[in-house]
Amino acid sequence: MTTTIQERDGQLVAVFEGRLDTAAAVQTEKDLQGLEACEGKDIILDCTSLDYISSSGLRLFLSVLKMAKAKGSHTYITGMNNDIRNVFTMTGFINLFELK
Amino acid sequence: MNILKLISQSVAVRTTLSVFILITILMASMNFYEINRVKEGVADEMVRQAGHAMDGVVADIDNRVANVETAVKTAAAFADRDTQHKTDCYELLYRLITKNEDIAAVTLLYRENFFPDMGRYYAPTVVHNPVNGEYEADEIGGPEADFCYLETDSNWIYTNVLREGYWCLPYSDSISTKRAMVTYSVPLFDDNDSIYAVLCADVALDWVRDIVEEAKPYEVSRVMVISRDSQYVCHPDPAWIQTINAYEHAQQIQDTSFLNLVSRMLAWQKGKDTLSKDFTAISSNSKKNPKKTETTLFFYAPIPRIQWSVSYTLPESFIQQGPRAIGNAMIAMLVITLIITSIALFIVVRKQLRPLNDLDVAARDIANGDFDQELPKIHTHDEIRRLRDSFEDMRTSLSRYIEELQVTTASKASIESELKVASDIQMSMLPKLFPPYPERDDIDIFGSLTPAKAVGGDLYDFYIRDEKLFFCIGDVSGKGVPASLVMAVTRSLFRTISAHEASPDRIVAVINDTLTEGNESNMFVTLFVGALDLPSGRLRYSNAGHDAPLLIKDSVEMLPMDANIPVGVMNNWKFTAQGTQIEPGTTIFLYTDGLTEAENINHEQFGEERIREVANTANLPTPLIKAMSSAVSDFVGEAEQSDDLTMLAIQYTKQQLAVRYSNELSIVNDLNEVERLATFVEQTCEAVGFDMATTMQLNLALEEAVVNVINYGYPNGTKGDILIEAQANDQRLKFIITDSGVPFDPTAKEEVDTTLSAEERPIGGLGIHLVRKIMDSINYERHNGHNVLTLRKKINNKQ
Repeated sequence: MTTTIQERDGQLVAVFEGRLDTAAAVQTEKDLQGLEACEGKDIILDCTSLDYISSSGLRLFLSVLKMAKAKGSHTYITGMNNDIRNVFTMTGFINLFELK
Repeated sequence: MNILKLISQSVAVRTTLSVFILITILMASMNFYEINRVKEGVADEMVRQAGHAMDGVVADIDNRVANVETAVKTAAAFADRDTQHKTDCYELLYRLITKNEDIAAVTLLYRENFFPDMGRYYAPTVVHNPVNGEYEADEIGGPEADFCYLETDSNWIYTNVLREGYWCLPYSDSISTKRAMVTYSVPLFDDNDSIYAVLCADVALDWVRDIVEEAKPYEVSRVMVISRDSQYVCHPDPAWIQTINAYEHAQQIQDTSFLNLVSRMLAWQKGKDTLSKDFTAISSNSKKNPKKTETTLFFYAPIPRIQWSVSYTLPESFIQQGPRAIGNAMIAMLVITLIITSIALFIVVRKQLRPLNDLDVAARDIANGDFDQELPKIHTHDEIRRLRDSFEDMRTSLSRYIEELQVTTASKASIESELKVASDIQMSMLPKLFPPYPERDDIDIFGSLTPAKAVGGDLYDFYIRDEKLFFCIGDVSGKGVPASLVMAVTRSLFRTISAHEASPDRIVAVINDTLTEGNESNMFVTLFVGALDLPSGRLRYSNAGHDAPLLIKDSVEMLPMDANIPVGVMNNWKFTAQGTQIEPGTTIFLYTDGLTEAENINHEQFGEERIREVANTANLPTPLIKAMSSAVSDFVGEAEQSDDLTMLAIQYTKQQLAVRYSNELSIVNDLNEVERLATFVEQTCEAVGFDMATTMQLNLALEEAVVNVINYGYPNGTKGDILIEAQANDQRLKFIITDSGVPFDPTAKEEVDTTLSAEERPIGGLGIHLVRKIMDSINYERHNGHNVLTLRKKINNKQ
């Protein structure tokens, strides 16, 4: 599981690759701290290469959303496959995030 | 019958009849008294009159006889001048007879051989011929008539003996006219004071009859005169005169009272006798009593001078004739008076009561609902007027009351329709579609609730969550709307609490605490709550004072029950949990006391014995409850249902399937073990034949469940093993996660609300939510110091 944060067109993009399970969530949480300097920038969570997400991963997504919202930034999710989308649907998270 | 009906229906008739009877009794008594008084007066008067008549007759006869006596005595005083000469004596005889009309013949009886040339017995006589009125001289004795009649002539004999005037016994003039006669004779004395002749005056007794007939007081009276020899001197039948001896006749007809009468007459007594016979009866010769006799009064009085006794009769009927006529007249007057009085009274009373009839008609109209009906006007100020006024008041009150009643009835109808809605809502709360789970082959349920009133206080409920059948049955104290409200609350609490609480004892405890709080109406509920783990057949239950359910399979057994109080009674009561293993094919039969205590008209109760009898005949839920219902219905018969009757039958029909795949994994409580778990799940899914998407979901569910155990089962860095078993049959894949950590039930967590906004969403709680979403059932048990979590997923056979 790797998480890379890039700045692209004035937006902060977090790219997830691999399985975001509970064991990986600890490292991923640290990796996502790079998103905290998001003032004036929208955040894009790129899930194109994300194979798996557990509730620990969902909690990280929710933390990012809350943090960004507090700073006036939008949070977008892109490239979810069907399995991931199913999990988002089951948890109602599909309604919380804006999809691109 | 009709008369009785008439009397009971008409005041006029009744009043008239009462007055009629009263007047009849009064007047009849008065008349009776009056008539008796009149009778006595009239009788006294008639007797007095008869007595007067009697005295008059006696005086008349005595007077006539005295005249004869005086004439003969006077003639005798001057007889000596003529009697010494055999032809001159006729002078005396002529003088005597011509001067006295009553004398029919005068005779001088001379002593034997008084005139030597005139024969032995010389008796010159002058006879007054009754036919031509001539006086004819004759002589009885003389030379030619030389028989010794002086020897037999009573006049001669007795006069000589008595030496004074003597009346002989009456006799029949045998020589000439056959008339009744009597002779008065006086002696003629010579110078030597010896009797030389007897002067005899014969008196014809025709005038006696005339006198008595004329003097008799009443035409119906009969007159009898008897002489001292008891011969009749006078009798209505002339043939009896001088032929019948009254005393002998009385003896002959054997009539004592008549005999006594004759005896008293012959004793020269004066008086009156009452004989129970009339004159005809004692004037016949027959001993037999005539058919018709009547009481007769006999008045009698003597004439001492001539020694006769005179007797008058006076029939009693004649005495009573006058009073009877008066009595009849009085009765006729009474009847007429009564008829007129009754008719008048009837008319008056009916006229007085006519307003009552009008009032009756008007009242009937009012009774039929015509409250506008005017009551008749009554111009008097009597009781009827007051009755009419009372009726008027009643009509007004009734009218007002009916109006109020209509309003009340309308509002009551509205309440009733609301009650109907309440009842509908209550019934709709209960599961009533049977079979409720047609797609399931492990459970069959049938239930029925028959409220005693429109809305009842019984409840039952069941639903399946996490492959557990939660069910309950309860009976709220009391009936009607309050009970149904408590029932609705209880049922809601059951649903709400059991949604996140799988232990029946805790479900009951929470319901108890909630109901007890603010239970001011002191209503309570007997409640049985059960949770049947459908895959394993494990039944956990808690009973709050409810009837013990029956377990029916080959035999009928009662589920063991701990003694717990009903819910709603006492706060914080520790309800005990119980458990048992339900074998497939067993039916759990739950009921309320409406079944055991169903009463027939003899107040006998249906009872547990009958329930067991019916349970022995049927154990499938639907037939069981239908058989039970019809048995209760037959038993109760015409009696009214006294309590709600609720039954719930649950049959556990789980089929054990052969395990075709089995695997297990043991890990420690470290989050890094999640990778091994993922590999294990993927192997299992591949073996069972799940697709990639499902495999990923099962992976997620298992990871979340195990992470929960790691996070919460082993706090403060304690170490422990977690065993994950996978088993699959043809229908399901089952994961059993067993750990030895602290007791922790993940299913008790409340459902996550997925509709909240990002700010409102809590960070936790997502894991177990995902497990529920992905798995078909999740089941937690605390068993032998281990947490046992079982997750099941159906295998789609099409794949």
